[in-house]
Amino acid sequence: MAKKFHLEIIATDRVFYEGDCEHLVITAIDGLLGILYGHEPLVTSLPTGELKYMVDGKWRYAAISEGFIQVMPESSIILADTCELPEEIDIKRAEEARERAEERLRQKQSIKEYYQTQAALNRAMNRLKISQKHFK
Amino acid sequence: MANMREIRERISSIQQILKITNAMYLMSSSKLKKARKSLESTEPYFYKLQSTIESVLEHTPHIRQLYFDRRQDIPEDKRKKGYIVITADKGLCGSYNHNIIKFAEEELKKASDIDNCYLFVMGQVGRMHFQKRKKAAKNAFVDGEFLYTTQNPTLYRAMEIAQLVIEKFEKRELDEVYLLYTDMVTANVQETRMVQLLPFSRRHFGKAPDGTLKKLPKASFVPSPEKVMDYLIPQYAKGIIYGAMVEAFCCEQQSRMTAMDAATTSAKDMIKDLSLLYNRARQAAITQEITEVCAGANGLED
Repeated sequence: MAKKFHLEIIATDRVFYEGDCEHLVITAIDGLLGILYGHEPLVTSLPTGELKYMVDGKWRYAAISEGFIQVMPESSIILADTCELPEEIDIKRAEEARERAEERLRQKQSIKEYYQTQAALNRAMNRLKISQKHFK
Repeated sequence: MANMREIRERISSIQQILKITNAMYLMSSSKLKKARKSLESTEPYFYKLQSTIESVLEHTPHIRQLYFDRRQDIPEDKRKKGYIVITADKGLCGSYNHNIIKFAEEELKKASDIDNCYLFVMGQVGRMHFQKRKKAAKNAFVDGEFLYTTQNPTLYRAMEIAQLVIEKFEKRELDEVYLLYTDMVTANVQETRMVQLLPFSRRHFGKAPDGTLKKLPKASFVPSPEKVMDYLIPQYAKGIIYGAMVEAFCCEQQSRMTAMDAATTSAKDMIKDLSLLYNRARQAAITQEITEVCAGANGLED
């Protein structure tokens, strides 16, 4: 059995997960990143995306939006705006958010607004993707 | 002797005020409960964010980066300082607004040149206060476009504010950004605080509360320290602003609750005193009437 390291996932509204973890896979800016016990110290930022971690030989999945991770050999901390389990995602709300964002993207808007809408669209798409993939 | 009708009118008006203060007390206590809950769920993030950033910076090689740029080429009196001040939207909350506004004004006084100070005030009360001062001779500039409420803080609002100040910082419209808010130390102790948001410096983290800074080998940054910092610092600013908003909102509700509780108690005291006075006046009037009737009857007999 793989050695365990301590993992903390903290969202702005709650402590999402705190405990041991065997394997963690995150989506960093430039691709997937797997973390095992004894990983070298590392800091990177996490865009909106998927997150999976293995506890007791089982993969767990979560949708995460904007955050960063600090990896130490024996522990890792993820700080994110929001973090949700696939079954927690409100599909209807995410779909509405996607439609709203898509509609807004069609309108003329300033660059700042454009980025904000794009980020909102990303979050909605990510939630939909993850809930469809892991929760049926 | 006070007029009976007058006293009665006063009692009924105090009773009406009592109803209002009591209702406000109940409302603020339920809002406080909600605010406390969100504060409790945000606090782990807020503290972890600070300690993590601190340890990240410990491991960061010295880098030249936009958000770290202290802009020492600009002399002290030419630096443009931005202050984000979090006040309440409404009054009637004891000394809460007064304290934070006074604190902000003291900070403004310390600034060498008031013309280079820019205020971003959240909450109606503070905005009104600083805008009114505008007409006086020397004053800080208040951003009139900066219209954010302090009710029910959301992450989205914090993000917008963070983006706004960071953009201004990047454009060199601001050289330093501070955040002023009220911090909840314990349930009954509140404290006004100032945090420097930008430029980002290692100094204001200092040592960990327990004085132990773990010395660890330098961490690697993927893809590069600069890229990560580009991302991390807006994130940090957002987190700090959000945390401060939640703290301040909780404080506001707490002080409103205390103030309204005190108002209700003193209204009850007043009613008690006044009803005593009223009864006395009523008794006096009755006695006088009896005396008059007796005197009249005696007069007839004679």
